[in-house]
Formats: sequence, structure tokens, C-alpha cells
Amino acid sequence: MTESLLQKLEAEVGKCISCGFCESVCPTLSPSGYDLWKGARGRVLVAKELAKDLRSGSDGILHVSDSFYSCLDCYACLYVCPAGVNAGIVSHTSREIIASGMLPENENPVAKMIVSTTMKYLNPLGVREKASKWAEGLNFNDNSPDLLYTGNMFQLMPYTKSLNSLRNLMGRRMSKFMAGLVGKHPPLIGFISNRRDRDLDARMSQSLRNIVELLESSGLNVKYLGSNEPYPGTFIYDLGYADQFRIYAEKVTKILKDSGAKRIITIDPHTFDLLKNTYPKFVRDFDFEVVHYIDLIKDLDFGKSGEKVTFHEPCHLVLRECPYNSPMDLLRQTSEVILPARSGRKTRCCGGPNELLFPELSEKISEQRYGELRETGASRVVTACPICFTNLAKDEKTIEISDFLIEKLRK
Amino acid sequence: MDQVHGLKQILGANLLTSREQKIPFQTDASYFQGQEPLAVALPENVKQVREVIKFCQEHSIPVVVRGGGTALTGSSIPFKDFIVLSMAKFDKIIEVKPEDRYAIVEPGVKLDALNQYLANFGHFYPPDPASSMAASVGGSISTNAGGLRASLYGTTRNWVLGLEVVLPNGEIVKVGGKVLKRTAGYDLTSMFVGAEGTLGVVTKAILKIWPLPESKGRILAYYDTIDKVGKAISKLKGKGITPLIAEFLDRISMDSLSKTRGLKFPDEVDYMLIVDLSSTRESIDRELSDAAEVLKEFGPVSIKITTDPTEMDRIYEARKGAYSSLLSERESNSERVVIGDIVVPASELSAALKESEEKVKEHHLKVALFGHISDGNIHANIYADLDNREHMERIDRFQIDFGKIAIKHGGSVSAEHGIGIEKKELLEMELEETGSQYTMEIMKTIRKAFDPNGIMNRGKMFD
Ligand SMILES: Cc1cc2nc3c(=O)[nH]c(=O)nc-3n(C[C@H](O)[C@H](O)[C@H](O)COP(=O)(O)OP(=O)(O)OC[C@H]3O[C@@H](n4cnc5c(N)ncnc54)[C@H](O)[C@@H]3O)c2cc1C
Ligand code: SF4
Ligand code: SF4
Repeated sequence: MTESLLQKLEAEVGKCISCGFCESVCPTLSPSGYDLWKGARGRVLVAKELAKDLRSGSDGILHVSDSFYSCLDCYACLYVCPAGVNAGIVSHTSREIIASGMLPENENPVAKMIVSTTMKYLNPLGVREKASKWAEGLNFNDNSPDLLYTGNMFQLMPYTKSLNSLRNLMGRRMSKFMAGLVGKHPPLIGFISNRRDRDLDARMSQSLRNIVELLESSGLNVKYLGSNEPYPGTFIYDLGYADQFRIYAEKVTKILKDSGAKRIITIDPHTFDLLKNTYPKFVRDFDFEVVHYIDLIKDLDFGKSGEKVTFHEPCHLVLRECPYNSPMDLLRQTSEVILPARSGRKTRCCGGPNELLFPELSEKISEQRYGELRETGASRVVTACPICFTNLAKDEKTIEISDFLIEKLRK
Repeated sequence: MDQVHGLKQILGANLLTSREQKIPFQTDASYFQGQEPLAVALPENVKQVREVIKFCQEHSIPVVVRGGGTALTGSSIPFKDFIVLSMAKFDKIIEVKPEDRYAIVEPGVKLDALNQYLANFGHFYPPDPASSMAASVGGSISTNAGGLRASLYGTTRNWVLGLEVVLPNGEIVKVGGKVLKRTAGYDLTSMFVGAEGTLGVVTKAILKIWPLPESKGRILAYYDTIDKVGKAISKLKGKGITPLIAEFLDRISMDSLSKTRGLKFPDEVDYMLIVDLSSTRESIDRELSDAAEVLKEFGPVSIKITTDPTEMDRIYEARKGAYSSLLSERESNSERVVIGDIVVPASELSAALKESEEKVKEHHLKVALFGHISDGNIHANIYADLDNREHMERIDRFQIDFGKIAIKHGGSVSAEHGIGIEKKELLEMELEETGSQYTMEIMKTIRKAFDPNGIMNRGKMFD
């Protein structure tokens, strides 16, 4: 297992000619003060050294964790690399090596905490029960073959935002200590997760309800698992815990199968990408049709206004092998879209994936991106991902695409 | 450790000392591997640069300045216990004044980022090395970078009006200025251009900028011999036509571009010539057709004119990515593409190209030839197996022969990539063979006058 990971790492870093092109697009580099190991080329070069050390059985331990855990997995680097290297994959494989136990001193306590609580509660913060509150009063159709799968993503945002203010209060060292403690005793997560940002909670709930309304307006009355709905395991996968992810994904698949659903309607880019591209590699009988809800509401009449908006394209939609552009296409039908300097295959991540492990870095990345979006001169900034929304909602000009579309539909 | 402590007092968190953080600073885009530096300094203002330099001078610590780290000659890598002085945090565009044709920028700004910004003013900064996405203003000044547009606009040297430099003794000097003309004593600005960080640290640059051309057009001509390519371009220039861009590619380069970018080229041709002209809207068509007539005299297999911006962009990007595309033809990961970079007068091109091809055969190497043909710049892209000593020695011998071809035809062993570690021997050879040994003495005297202890980029360019 570890040998195959090492070979995978060697093959990827071996292609690199160290031209530095990837540094010019890597969103983590300038916000980290040009500390190169937190940029794409640096990650590849550090991984090269790591692979060399592991291969030679060197005793000197490289403390490389921050380099790889701070990578956003956005893959912007891949599209400018002349040698076809993906520094995101390099970081992911390195995290897998760390998680496999080969480099115990490199494990990140917050990462371990998240994995152990998710494995136990099927939700990273143990708030699965609360994550269904948004749907109170709504009528779902238990017999529908279509399952609305929120993956708890919108619902988790108010908690992560509060968690970060708590971490700021506690300081870095204390937070790590707490994380280590919770990692060993998952029930302690309750102390952390009893706080949530109420305004954001209301906003996220409204977005979820808007999505249901959009689907209903398109004639789709779907089923929803409520408090039984599991988190898809994105963190476990992203943090490199492949073995645990396999077990977890099988659990989730069973729950989805037991629901009798045939088609899974995802509503955020991370869950869409994970279910469409990663689950089939880990779970043998994962045979659902996975769709994004935007594809199901395309025929609604939103009208066309002259409003100039800008769109922050999510990495997990446009920087993957087959770019998914339906949200932008739909937006273009309703308004005039002015794209920021970095868009399409050069879109810049909002920094969201770093929110739990590197909150300060995440904040700086989001500020840079928000600045670029505002420079377009558009009246509003539209996002299509709860993580992007939370990170980019610097003022009232940022709006989630479901809220935006509902507004247009009702006009 | 005392030294690190001293630097920490100057730089605080802007000093990196852990082994892991230093790793990425040990490499540039060349095949040379640097050694572990003492520390990496990331100053954020001129005062910090000055303090660091003064400290290093006092303690005799060698310093290598780093911009984008895209050098192909090893000029930006550290040796053991150097201080790497990264200028990355100097990333601001300070002022753009189109009416006076200048922009003031910090050295860490990337060339593409600068041009993206200048486009808002309808202007551009012409030096465009194929690495412009990652190369910095400071690094490209310090290597006197060229690029595709050097055919018409010349290299970086022609576009630097003034500089702010921290000298090796810690003095901050301003040379040149904002004006397009100046005859006030020695041209010190030019001396820092191409100095590879041996004479000081560039902390600010006043660059000449130019209006974007009104209209552009492109001729694509394919030939069956390299001789015809060389002669065609010489004749064109002889007729008084200076292309905006004139590039040639050989078959290996075309094949790699087909593979990586899906471009289509005629089967039976061995060489492609790209000629771009810029002019006014009214005269572009006439000038393109005049130039095409000249190129036709040398019997191209086929020839085509286009003014379609999308197609032109596609070909420009493809040519810029030619080196990168060659990577797709590598046989293993340990193989690199080492770039030979010579220049000859345009009239000597045809002979120099023919001799280069013969040397490739003689040394049994796989080499793709392309280059900025209008200014006589030939790049020999050599597939190099870094793990194979015998192969690398053969490449060294080829590089010497390639350099000799340049000298024989009145050119130079380095057109635009600089000297660094790679071409120290070749530089000496050029000066020797052209009877200019005294030039080396002058260069050594200058370097010593600026930097008596030799702390700046020690071991690079010349000893
Ligand atoms: C794929 C590829 C294609 C290339 N194509 C071309 C091309 O077409 N034309 C061309 O000319 N070159 C080309 N190059 C070479 C290289 O990109 C250029 O030499 C570039 O100008 C170097 O800029 P940099 O910022 O990366 O400098 P670095 O590599 O960081 O440094 C280069 C030298 O400048 C010094 N230096 C850097 N900043 C400063 C400063 N502020 N003050 C003083 N000294 C400083 C360094 O010490 C070093 O000696 C190419 C390189 C690659 C990888
Ligand atoms: S762009 Fe690719 S080849 Fe260049 S440094 Fe980055 S990973 Fe290496
Ligand atoms: S995946 Fe994104 S964050 Fe990670 S190295 Fe590549 S560009 Fe940087």
C-alpha cells in the first residue's frame, strides 16, 4: 500500500522541470507571504525530497505537514503546467502517506479530530440531527426515485464559522490541544459544536429551501433523508485517510441505497464532484445517477434582466477533468455576467477548503479573490457553493445562486 | 547560528530557517541542483534589503537574489550556506504614465501580470520570454531577457529607463530616470541589466512602455530545408522589413505541438517559419503581401497569411509553449530538455543552422531546433538524460561546439538566457576566441569595485 503511494508520488513529481509556472496561479502562495513550500512548485519540490528520504530510509524526519495540508486541491496549477504535473494530486498523495502512519509526526491533530468525529457521527461536528432543521414544514415525497442530497454542506457552514472565532479566542496551541483531545474522545465534539453563527444559519436554511422551491417549480417533488442524511465524507477523503474513506463511503452508499433512490440530486460542488468522480473508484456497487440540481431547473423562465453580475466559478466544477458549466450558462440566461480576470480554467479558489486547518490563510485568500470579483464593477457577486459563499460574503453584495435564481423567478 | 539570529532581528518572520521551507529555494528551472542555504530572506521593504545586505557584507555571507526562479542557467540557485534573498514581496505596480511612456514597478511583479495591467491603458511592456507567466521584472532585467517580440523591440535592455539598486555595500542608488533620453555620464542603468545579481539588488524599476500595435498579421511558411529558412529571413530583413516576430520550428517541435496542442501541420515539411508584422489598419494587408512575396522567392512548400486574432493567438501561444511541448516527447522522467541558446547575425543564420544540424548528428543527440530567427537567435533543445553521465558529457561537448559555431559566425554563446553556472566556460571561450580577454579583466574590476568581498552570487558568471 505505502509502496504504491510512494510510486505514485515519485511518478507525479518526477515529471516536474521546476519551471515555476504553477506558482503564478497557486492561490495559497502570495497570501502565505511567498513562503514557497506553501505554493505549487514548492509542494512538488518538497514532495520530491520527501520521496527521496522515504526511498532511502533516511532517519531525518521532514516536517512537511503544513506544505501539503495547506493545499486547497483546486488544481489551478495543473492547467498551466507544461509537464502535466498536478501539485494538488502531489499534496493529496503526500497527505495519504502521512495518514497511512508512515510519518506520524506529520499528522495534523485537527485533521485527525475531523476524521474520528465523522467516522463516529457521520458528520464532522456531530450535528447530523440539527442539520435537518431547515426542512421543517416542507413536504417531501418518500416514494420519489429522486433523492435530494444536501450532504450537510450548507448546514455545516454556521458551525465552522463559529468554530473559527472560538479558535481565535483559544489561540493556535490550545486549539491543537483541544483537537487532539476530541480526536481521541469524539463525544467531546459537543463542547465545540454547540455554537453556530445564527445569521448564517438562517441564510443557509433559506438557500436550501430555495433549492427545494426551484426543484418543485420544475415539477420535481423529491425525497430527503432528514436527520438520517449522512455527510458524504469529503474531509476524510481530502485529508488523505483513504482506508477510512473507503469504509465511510460504503456506509453512506448503504444509507443511500436503503432509501430506494435511483438518482441523487446534489446541490454543492464538493458533494457533486465526490459522488460523481471519487465514490465510483472506492465503492464497487455505487451505481446511482448523480446530477447537479442546476441541470434540473434549466427550463424555468427566469426572465432576462440587464443586471451586471459577476460569478465566482467553483474549482470543483470548472477545474476538474470535465468542466461543469451549467450554473454559469443559466446565469447568463438571466443577467449579464462579467467574469473576473481569473475565470474558467484559471479561476482562483476562495480559500474555503483551508478554513478549518489554516483559517488565517483562508481569510487572506478570500480577500484577494473578493477583491478580484469586485474589480469587475458588477453589482453583485454570485457564488454556487456554500463554502465559497461563506468565505466571500464580505458584504451584502454576495449572493448564493439559489437565492439569486429564486429572486429572478419570483419577479 | 549567531548569523541566523542577527538576520532574524532584521527580518523577524520574514526569515525562513527550517530545512523544509528552504527546499524550494534550492532550485530554479535549470538542471543544476542548489545546496541548502543558511536561510531565506523575504524582505518587504528597501530598508530590510539594505540591512540584510549590510549584515551579509559584515559577516562575509554570500547572497543570491531570487526573482521568479525561472533561470535556465543556475543563476538563481544558492550554494551551501548562502542567503537566498527573495524579492517576491516586492510585487506592486507603483505608477503607470502612458503619456510619458513609463511604468514604475517593483522587481517581484511577474511579466504577464504587468502586461495584463498595462493593457488597461492600451500599452504594453515588450520583453516577452516564454516564461513570462512566472518570470519577474527583476529577474528578467538581471538576465536581459529577450523573447519573441525582441525581433522588433529588442531585449529588456532597451526597455529599462532607470533603477533603484541596493549595492553590495548597502548604499541605495538611483540610476537613470523617467525620461526617454538621457546623456549624463556613464550608462549605469545598462550595467545592471544582465548582471545576474552580481552588482546589487534591484528594488525598483522604471520601465519604458509602448502603445499596443494597432493591427497585426501573420504569415506561416513551410520549407523543406533549413537553408531556405535562413536565407528567406535574411532577404526579408535586407529589404527593410522588420517583423514583429519571426520564429522557426523544426519537425520535432511541430510534432510535439501537434501532440500537446492539437495543431495541424503539413506532413511533408521539415521547417515552419512564423512571421508577424505590425502596422496600421490601412497598410497591414499590403505589408503582409510584400513580405509574403519575398518569402515565396525561396520556394516554400506552402504559405498562408492570416489576420484572424483567434488563430494568431493560438499560434503565438503554441510557439511560446514550444519548449514545454517538447517535454511530451521525453522518454523517461529523468530526462530533461536542456536549452542551448546562441545568436549570430541574421545573414549568417543559414550557415549556422546547417552547421548546428551537422553537430547534432555528429554527437548522436536528439535535439529540437527552434528560435527567434529574426534576431539570429537559435535554441537547440537537447534531450538530456541527467542520470547518464556519458550522455551528459556528450551534451557538454555539443554545447561547446554549438558555442563555437556562434563565435565563428560573429555571434555570442548566450543570446538571452545569461551565463549563470552553465556558461561560465563558454563565456571565457568566447572572450578568448574573439581576442577580448581584456573584457574579462574589465568585468572583474567592475565586480570587485562594487563588491570587494565577492558576496553577490559568488561562483556565478565568472570567478
Ligand atoms: C519554460 C521557460 C522558457 C523560457 N524562455 C525564455 C525566453 O524566451 N527568453 C529569455 O530571455 N529567457 C527565457 N527563459 C529564461 C528565464 O525565464 C529568464 O531568464 C527570466 O528572465 C528570469 O527571470 P526570473 O524572475 O525567473 O529570474 P530568476 O531566475 O529568479 O533570477 C535570474 C537572475 O537574476 C537575478 N535576480 C533576480 N531578481 C533580481 C533582482 N531584483 N535584483 C538583482 N538580481 C536579480 C538572480 O540572482 C539570477 O542571477 C525561459 C525559462 C523557462 C523556464
Ligand atoms: S508548472 Fe509543472 S513543471 Fe513547472 S514547476 Fe510547476 S509542477 Fe513543475
Ligand atoms: S491544487 Fe491549488 S492550492 Fe494546491 S498546489 Fe495546485 S494551485 Fe496550489
